[in-house]
Amino acid sequence: MKFLYYCAFLLLVIKLCACSAPAVDTSTVSVRWTHDPESLDPLLYLSSGNSTQAINLLYSSLIGVDYVKQVKVPLLAEALPTMRYTDSLTFITYRLRDEAVWDDGQPVLAKDVAFTLAVMNCPELPNETARAQFSFIEQVQFDSTDSRRFTFVCQGRSPEYEFSSGDFPILPAHIFDPKGSLYKIPLVKLRNAALAQSAAVQTFVQRYQQAQLAHHPMRLPGCGPYRLQKWEPGRYIVFQHKANWWGNRVTPTPVQLQAYPRTISFEIIPDENTALLAFRRGQVDVYPRMPAREFDRLRQSANAKKFAFFTSNSYETLTAGFNVRRPTLHDRLTRQALTKLFDIPALIAGTQLGYADRSVGLISTRQKEFYNDSLPLPSYDPAAAIALLRQAGWRRQPAGAWQRTTATGKTQRLALRFSYRTGEPAYEATALQFREAAATIGIPVALLPTERSLLDAQMKAGEVDMFLRSIGGNPTEFNFAPILHSGYIASGNFNAFGTPSSDALIEELAAAESFPRKRQLLRRFQKMMQEESPFVVLYFFRYRLAADARFTGLQVSGLKPGYNVMTIRPKQANAG
Amino acid sequence: MLRYLLLRLLRLVLAVWLIVSGIFLLSRLLSPSAALLPFATGDLVLSTSSVQEQHVAEKRLIHRLGLDLPVFYTTPAPNGKSWQWHGARNQYQRWLSQLLRGNLGYSYRDGQAVTSLLTNALAYTLPLTVSAALLVVGLSVWLSVYMATHARFRRYVLSGLYVLDAIPLFVLGLLLLLLLANPETLALFPAYGLGGERELIEATWLMRVGSHVYHLVLPVLCLVLVSLPTLVVQLDATLQQEQRTDYATTARAKGLPEPAVVRWHTFRNALLPTITQLTNLLPSLVAGAVVVEVIFALPGMGRLLADAAARHDYPVVVGGVLLTALVRLLAQALADWLYFLADPRIRLRA
Repeated sequence: MKFLYYCAFLLLVIKLCACSAPAVDTSTVSVRWTHDPESLDPLLYLSSGNSTQAINLLYSSLIGVDYVKQVKVPLLAEALPTMRYTDSLTFITYRLRDEAVWDDGQPVLAKDVAFTLAVMNCPELPNETARAQFSFIEQVQFDSTDSRRFTFVCQGRSPEYEFSSGDFPILPAHIFDPKGSLYKIPLVKLRNAALAQSAAVQTFVQRYQQAQLAHHPMRLPGCGPYRLQKWEPGRYIVFQHKANWWGNRVTPTPVQLQAYPRTISFEIIPDENTALLAFRRGQVDVYPRMPAREFDRLRQSANAKKFAFFTSNSYETLTAGFNVRRPTLHDRLTRQALTKLFDIPALIAGTQLGYADRSVGLISTRQKEFYNDSLPLPSYDPAAAIALLRQAGWRRQPAGAWQRTTATGKTQRLALRFSYRTGEPAYEATALQFREAAATIGIPVALLPTERSLLDAQMKAGEVDMFLRSIGGNPTEFNFAPILHSGYIASGNFNAFGTPSSDALIEELAAAESFPRKRQLLRRFQKMMQEESPFVVLYFFRYRLAADARFTGLQVSGLKPGYNVMTIRPKQANAG
Repeated sequence: MLRYLLLRLLRLVLAVWLIVSGIFLLSRLLSPSAALLPFATGDLVLSTSSVQEQHVAEKRLIHRLGLDLPVFYTTPAPNGKSWQWHGARNQYQRWLSQLLRGNLGYSYRDGQAVTSLLTNALAYTLPLTVSAALLVVGLSVWLSVYMATHARFRRYVLSGLYVLDAIPLFVLGLLLLLLLANPETLALFPAYGLGGERELIEATWLMRVGSHVYHLVLPVLCLVLVSLPTLVVQLDATLQQEQRTDYATTARAKGLPEPAVVRWHTFRNALLPTITQLTNLLPSLVAGAVVVEVIFALPGMGRLLADAAARHDYPVVVGGVLLTALVRLLAQALADWLYFLADPRIRLRA
């Protein structure tokens, strides 16, 4: 017994020595993250959701997205750009806000934008993705009368250029390149690998790498509303609001420049159960992407009043894809038949607890102006599947298997391998449901749960029959080429789908600028995809988010990460 | 003796080299583009880059990481019928020469030095695992001696230990959280981590240490409870065997009370078979406890290596394996040495 007394005494001493629970602090907002951002180097801006979110607190882009209205809004730029076209070039002109300054008080100027582009194209830096993403910008033209005005000269013409040309964080030129030895080099010349040997480039690369911005962004003045206060990898990352942030001087302050929390702390909690417990205890204020079951349970609990619950219709969809290179899946009738074997309402109820939305295709139902409501939703109908298989030439053998003979006299047997990512219960349930449904009409399906990167490599190499894939989208740009154009078969078009007419439609859609034209083409696109069925959209995810009820102002959105942490503020302050 | 130690050291270095080289070569079997997929970036739908530009970007990334070099000195020719010789310009040579200079490479994920990542993770793992190991050893000794001297409780204690042993680690961790860190039951301990900065503003050093220890109570308890049954059951079994020996009977016949027989005679001999188990604890001290670290959100070695394996961050995986293999082999050498010290009948042979 003595031993137990000693233990109890020891615990009491530890408890007394340890700090008491923190007082309720509404100036700090803590958000649950599952993992650290990979890097805070703006060059690696496109690396992951968490990095992007963190970098957006430190640096500003020219334009951004209004989370609620889901439209483009100017950030560093005083207005959306003006576009001008010639036969082969696009000219995009911006002017920076007069109020925009760096942390050290220096104004944000056109040369900073030119410098950022030079960094993104500089040889010997880890900028491969940014370089590919912004390769359409050929030149930056300065305005001799206004140091804040500049024009991007872009190769070709695309509606995407308007947003893409302003969607990267701007870096200060006066720290690394005060004399302009780098940004004055034409971009076309800078992209040449031979320039890596030049003294100007080598000196710059050495200085940039020594700064180690990936983990020490405070070594460079930013123009975003926050500065990094502390980063303990694997534990937390804390951002402190800048007292003299230029956005506060813009009157009236537009929503996209509002930043309320004095401190934002992202708490790294990998396990969902632990995160839920921390949220219920008030150690975490915002819990994004809460699992459906826990979300419902908490909403129905006695403590539900302590929390605010949000859902938002995302643009992220789960699709089941067919590899059309496979002879058995080459014809559209077979693919149409197989889409009839997914019981989508049951999948939504079983795996998402109702927090998902059906759709006829890759356009969400919330985009009413573009959604083709004349098309039927995919339905579970094994009898129709059998009829379609017969139309496709398949005949059921006495033993139960489906076979057909091709024009060349070759016999095909309908048996499928269904690949999906491991560790995703929703994916597994979907594959199991499909296998059961297929078995009822005599189609054998082998399930192949596969490690994520291996699956991606197999899909890219065309080594799978059927696969589950999550596709991210957005409400404004409709460029489906990377996932459905025949020119991208070696890249992101894992279905290997692409006909001359579908390619032409996708190209036309990507280039469409007027609203009526976009609407018309998108409706045609949805109809064509339903007929061709290279994939079936199972559902659009709904983001679920819970926040402490002490706060208000949280903007939730269907766009990643699903919320705007900068607008959250204590309820009292709001009322006052 | 010196000859034995030198030979043992040589074997150890050779074994570590073989293990780590094997892991390195296996990790490079996957094609570079597949290996780098978790690090591939950009949203497909928003991409303004063409397929050609994406391929160029991928090639640049592969070149920057040195994955465009041949993996080894010799590799099978594309026709598969012969072997190609590449000379010293290969990934293995580059990695080995870096390793000999103490450089374990750089993480694919965030570009940080692997040595720095491992050092940081060890700073969190060692306090957790060492304190748990010390507690486990102390409690095991105390419990087995207690059972030997209080026979009537032995059955109940052993039954309890068997039940504990049947609970998987992740269930145990969650149970502890739900019972002792839950506002609906007992919120005695923190739910995760090691405390944030906002909790420690203006805290004295004593409060900081107290807070650290307080946050470690549940993870340490979890590790102790999961490791305790094996060690106690083993120690108890050997102790029971020693209790039936002639020298123990002689001690009792001399009039020694049972606790003295255990403490001064049988316990020392019972410790012998436990040496292997004790030294086996050493590798897990540096390898961390992935489940506990994930559940309690501690950024230790286990979580670092599990994340690295899941994301194909091979430099970190190979660095972690090197460290763990080294400690495991050292632990085996230590076990041999302890056996030699503990039992004079054992003679070491090189």
